[in-house]
Amino acid sequence: MSCILFSRPDHDSTLAYLYYYSKGLVDYSKNKKHKTLNREKEHANRKEIINLIKKQNPNFIMFNGHGDPDIIAGHKNEIIISKANSEILSNALIYSLTCSSGQKLGKLIVTKGAICFIGYNKDFNLGKDPNSEASPRRDKIAKLFLEPSNILVKSLIDGCSVKVAIERAKEKMRENIWYLSTTKDFLEAPFYAPFLFGNYISLISYGDVKASI
Amino acid sequence: MSKEKQNEIKEIKREIVIERLRQAPPSVKISFGMSEGKFMDRDELIENVEKNTDIGNRIVNLQLEYLKAFKTGFLTNK
Repeated sequence: MSCILFSRPDHDSTLAYLYYYSKGLVDYSKNKKHKTLNREKEHANRKEIINLIKKQNPNFIMFNGHGDPDIIAGHKNEIIISKANSEILSNALIYSLTCSSGQKLGKLIVTKGAICFIGYNKDFNLGKDPNSEASPRRDKIAKLFLEPSNILVKSLIDGCSVKVAIERAKEKMRENIWYLSTTKDFLEAPFYAPFLFGNYISLISYGDVKASI
Repeated sequence: MSKEKQNEIKEIKREIVIERLRQAPPSVKISFGMSEGKFMDRDELIENVEKNTDIGNRIVNLQLEYLKAFKTGFLTNK
């Protein structure tokens, strides 16, 4: 049994989608009998997350939130991980569903001892269906953007290696990009394809890609 | 290549991207780089490209990279 920590802020309209789509991952982790630590909304703050990491030493941590090349943030964009405390993630496998934290911070986290860092080295983009306003559940566009990320995490929870998890996520992205580029189901589909392509090219990993949780 | 020529090419690229974005219905919504937690509609994206903002330049680069990938068989070659 592994210990898995989820940090899931929900304080703006983009993060609300990430929050909604990652709920199933928390349940999935529990169903697989992993020790599952879920810090959501205002509890996805620096103090609570850092305390949990120190006390519970999770094998795998998923951060939802905003980020940049130097930071991973939580509730109300409070900085949770930066250069100053990056060693706290040593011996863990990290997935950062944030923008650009894969550019610099991800590499640093691995040099400071993390087993592997998975993240995005450029922008993470999210499309949404204007017709399903305020209902992520019915949003057919957002699903195409976030489903690959969920496949990645579910694969890791199932015990797949980082390499396999990323391959599966990228394969789903390609499938969804192809669908958006070619479908006649809805007029605006081709508009979204380049933005999902952006997620495809910026999904990266550092460290041991043969690692699993 | 002269600076003038470089600027000319940059301008053409920008126009291509604006034209591509204009093909979409105005109601489309994208959180580009999760743009401070907000979703932008088509016209806001176009405005960023027209005004050469940081986001606008990143949109141009991404759109052109996508077109290049499409041309080189990204979706059809495995």
